[in-house]
Amino acid sequence: MLNLAIDFARRFARNRAALIGLLLVIVVVGVALAAPWLFPRNPLRIVGRPEIWPFVNSRYPLGTDSLGRDIAAMIAYGARTTLLIGLCASLTATLIGITIGATAAYFGGWIDEMLMRFTELFQTIPNLIFVLTIVSILGQKIEYVTVAVGIVTWTPIARLTRAEFMALRDREFVQACRAMGMGNLRIMLGEILPNALPPVIVLSSLVIAGAVLFESAVSFLGLGDPNVSSWGRLIGDGRTLIRTSWYICAVPGLAIMITVLALNLVGDGLNDALNPKLRDR
Amino acid sequence: MNRIVLRRLAQVIPLVLAVIVLNFVLIHLAPGSLFDVMTAEQQISDPAMLDQLRHTYGVDQPTWVQLAKYIWSVMRLDLGFSYRQNAPVLNVIMDQLPATVILMLAATSVALLVGVTAGVLASVRVNTIWDNLISLAAVFFFAAPSFWLGIMMTVLFAVKLGWFPVGGIRTIGAGNGPFADALDVMHHLVLPATALGLFYAATYARVMRASMLEVFRLDFVRTARAKGLSPARVVLAHVMRNALLPIVTLLGLQLGTILGGSVVIEAVFSWPGIGSLLFDSVMSRNFPMVLGVLVLGSLLVAVANATVDLLYLRLDPRIRAR
Repeated sequence: MLNLAIDFARRFARNRAALIGLLLVIVVVGVALAAPWLFPRNPLRIVGRPEIWPFVNSRYPLGTDSLGRDIAAMIAYGARTTLLIGLCASLTATLIGITIGATAAYFGGWIDEMLMRFTELFQTIPNLIFVLTIVSILGQKIEYVTVAVGIVTWTPIARLTRAEFMALRDREFVQACRAMGMGNLRIMLGEILPNALPPVIVLSSLVIAGAVLFESAVSFLGLGDPNVSSWGRLIGDGRTLIRTSWYICAVPGLAIMITVLALNLVGDGLNDALNPKLRDR
Repeated sequence: MNRIVLRRLAQVIPLVLAVIVLNFVLIHLAPGSLFDVMTAEQQISDPAMLDQLRHTYGVDQPTWVQLAKYIWSVMRLDLGFSYRQNAPVLNVIMDQLPATVILMLAATSVALLVGVTAGVLASVRVNTIWDNLISLAAVFFFAAPSFWLGIMMTVLFAVKLGWFPVGGIRTIGAGNGPFADALDVMHHLVLPATALGLFYAATYARVMRASMLEVFRLDFVRTARAKGLSPARVVLAHVMRNALLPIVTLLGLQLGTILGGSVVIEAVFSWPGIGSLLFDSVMSRNFPMVLGVLVLGSLLVAVANATVDLLYLRLDPRIRAR
């Protein structure tokens, strides 16, 4: 087991871009975790003169926004929101995707047909429009945004899980389990799923990046939770001042871009390390 | 051939039905009844009006009757009435739809043009500085949120340099002839279409590069070279044509996301399409309008998907045999 882990780490480390991505992810997670120590006061509190440019006043290294709130503090707390929503949404999507994909492939027949039509339905609905509809109907709460993003991002995971289960379900070890009289649920969860999981995990890590982009778009439009600091919201608030203080938009946008970039690089690296067959794609 | 077309189009119908049912479920998920929200938001208090509304929306009937009625009315393209615009929902959406379709088409063209060119260039000059630069640019544009890109482009090209307008679709009061009008719209279209298209261009560039490299290895390319065709002709007429198929697949899959992305871009550039309409309706809790946009948007994507599938049939005759 340890050997396997070391082998995996070596293969991952061979990809230099993935290492840079991992480093960036660690930095972002570090900032998110350290936010309460770095900035002990409420980040949405007004601290100084509005519209101070970055690198001018050392007390506010990234400047202040139109209301005089510290941008650095909002970025740090925004990292918490963004990562939390990204992780939870990806987890929701993975749970839905695995359940539907595994059930469809394992039972086959009309169940498969029906569940795949269901998946197609969610691929057809324009995803951001659906998220906005759900948020507008249920209300602007961080939980609803998370669930809504999870609901629109599970379809690729379901398709991949289905393909993996299809390939595994008639293998000899599964037939042996059936002959032993194991229940369907136990075969699916205990025997097939662990074998099907690696590529699914890679895809889930890429879904986090997509979820971060969705969340930023929702809060940019002003439909996120108004009580938490968020990168997208900061861009949305700063939009009215682009003639004088465009840095208010630029800084959080860079934060989103770096985070998404890092997550994508790590996902690609995981893909290379876990599925050597697919490396050339 | 006709039978395949009909069968593919027939598959759209259950999808649209399912979207309508989903809509209905969403209405019932809303806290309190949608009816309360609608009447409260639009401040309708006249009892006669309330009774009439209750009857039009059929709130006094059992759920399954309501569902059947809802499906029936949507099938007749009756999506309800919007008091905010004082017009039927369908008419309002149809007024705004052309602007969105123009934006989507322009963004897709930008994405295809930039993405395919970059991918071909990267594959022809594989593992050179060009290839690396293109890959780097693709990674960056793949990570940048389109609305942020739009704002940054506005800052540079509209505010600082003044080359393009900040937003809107037409210059106010500049009406002289359809040709000048079209030019004016295109001038306004450049920034939003580029901001929306660059994300997809990044995907296409990556896919195109991989797919070109795959085709380069095939035997028929060697034959083409052996015949003495010029390198440019081999690349453009033989390799590129065959490498384009995955792009078409991707295009079909991404239509829904492009429509979603145009919502945000429309908000950035105050482009008067269904995105702005949706945003405005979500903000004012105008639910018939929100659900109408959802149904028509899904219909648009479903039909476009079917079209892409049929296009595929023309591009790759091997599929027809199956």
